[in-house]
Amino acid sequence: MSVAVRVDREGDHASLVPAGPFDLSHTTAVARAVDGTVTRLSGCVSVDVDLAELDRIDGAGAALLARFLDQLDAEGRRACVVEGRNPEAARLIALYREHRADRPPSQTHPISPLARIGALAARLPGKANEALDFTGRCAVALPKTAAHPSSVDWRSLPKLMQEIGADALPVTSAANLLVGIIIGFLGVSQLGRFGAVAYVPELVVVAHFRELGPLVTAIVVAGRSGAGLASEIATMKVSEEIDALRSMGLDPLRWLIVPRCLALVLTVPLLTWVGDVLALVGGLGATAALTHMTTRAYIQATLNAITVEHFLAGLVKTPFLGLAIGLIACGQGLLARGGAAAVGVRTTTAVVLAIFSVIVMSALFTFFFALMGI
Amino acid sequence: MLMEHVTFQVERGTIFTILGGSGCGKSSLLRYLIGLEQPLAGRIDIDGVGEPHRYEGVPPFGVLFQSGALFSSMTLAENLKLPLTKWTPIRGAIARELVQAKLDLVGLGPFADHLPGEISGGMKKRSGIARALMLEPDLLFFDEPSAGLDPISAVELDQLILTLSRDLGITIVIVTHELASIFLVANHCIVLDKATRGIVAQGNPSELRDASEIPFVHNFFTRSSPAASTKSGG
Repeated sequence: MSVAVRVDREGDHASLVPAGPFDLSHTTAVARAVDGTVTRLSGCVSVDVDLAELDRIDGAGAALLARFLDQLDAEGRRACVVEGRNPEAARLIALYREHRADRPPSQTHPISPLARIGALAARLPGKANEALDFTGRCAVALPKTAAHPSSVDWRSLPKLMQEIGADALPVTSAANLLVGIIIGFLGVSQLGRFGAVAYVPELVVVAHFRELGPLVTAIVVAGRSGAGLASEIATMKVSEEIDALRSMGLDPLRWLIVPRCLALVLTVPLLTWVGDVLALVGGLGATAALTHMTTRAYIQATLNAITVEHFLAGLVKTPFLGLAIGLIACGQGLLARGGAAAVGVRTTTAVVLAIFSVIVMSALFTFFFALMGI
Repeated sequence: MLMEHVTFQVERGTIFTILGGSGCGKSSLLRYLIGLEQPLAGRIDIDGVGEPHRYEGVPPFGVLFQSGALFSSMTLAENLKLPLTKWTPIRGAIARELVQAKLDLVGLGPFADHLPGEISGGMKKRSGIARALMLEPDLLFFDEPSAGLDPISAVELDQLILTLSRDLGITIVIVTHELASIFLVANHCIVLDKATRGIVAQGNPSELRDASEIPFVHNFFTRSSPAASTKSGG
């Protein structure tokens, strides 16, 4: 059945007769029919809308007719609904007219790229302040933790260490093994040109122990555990669990964040150490596959290259990298506001910031060691 | 097994409430009715739809979940536009008009561009009702609509429910244990009991309150506990 609006003119009076199904499934046709009558009403001062021939009407059709009637009123025309044999339709239209709110026209102002940059820059001091504030509160939490050990959820520490450490071992080990293989391949291809394949074991040791081992491990932990911690804390924030802790007199920084940061500080060095060993295996595999160097010769060269200095130069960074991941992930989680979308946003920000931070910190350590001649 | 031998009929155009204490299976029953889960045995038949868990097509009913269940990353207008976009070809200005009309109907016209996180619990519920109405259903399911609302907001929501039933002719099934709402809006109800795992009473709420001889039903409607009844010698 088709939708139509018949217009009967008598001088400055018009009678509109909507016919057909004025319902959701015919909304587009209804809108077209209703809008099309406006031009045929020029010069009319009064309009009757006769609902007798309406086949069916629901909220969608009623809303569109209500809008049309309001438009007639706004144009100064006297609009009247003739319910006839269709009182339910008249009541439905009246319901939508009654609830139609006065709304100011929406104002959209396009923002120029320069304005966007300015707005972003204007927000930076606030964000830096937030970060410093959080760091300060965490620093203050440490002596309070020492004074009141029971204010920390120590029972969660073993489970956290398992989740952040043991459960992450396969993926961090795989990553470091592959990096060892990559360094081996690269070393063989580049050093081989100069007949210096014998230095590949030393290359693997120096590159991985000092730099790539801690960095790769921290990046994997940031992506895996950092995301998990950020989303966990953010979900607790949006579901008011953090507020519940505070209402019970528990400081969320000590109760939640201290065990999480401690777990990271303890496990990231262990993961790095295991990763270092596996990188050596990777380097061995790559070298043995591409050259005639024997396993024994490779191991001997590796042992000669490993020094306490190389080992500790890498390992000493790792607790700091773990701490940075913990503070950033938990800090972002505590900033969540709203619902599920906020959890996603904070988790993403936490991972990006954590990865960027561990890279910057590794670079700073390298710069420092270079200055110290270590 | 949570419940068994639950048989009832909902008449078109009425407000039907499912009542019972905590843990009796009200919300589970609602999940069966709206097709989110399938009962182990038995049949649910919604007029023109058949069994809800097998139904594929334009949803024949709207649902208001307990917390509103609005998508937090979308504005109210975008939340309401979602079912239109999925099930109809309506787009652009007409879609905006229909969305605005529904928000006006529930008293949230000025809040179309607000995010759910920026409005109160009562407003979220009303937004949820507006979204449930977008596809012009003849049937609505409400899960604890008054939960978490202040008394004034709860009364306003009850008035809205009555308007939907009286003026739009919508059949409404409500899961609730809010007595004030039940007596104000419900035409008919069933009372579930965890102990018997089924329906212990059905009928008009006021009549059940005044005439039921089943202690659980009497206590439920008069807000008295069995211990209090014993203490008072009742």
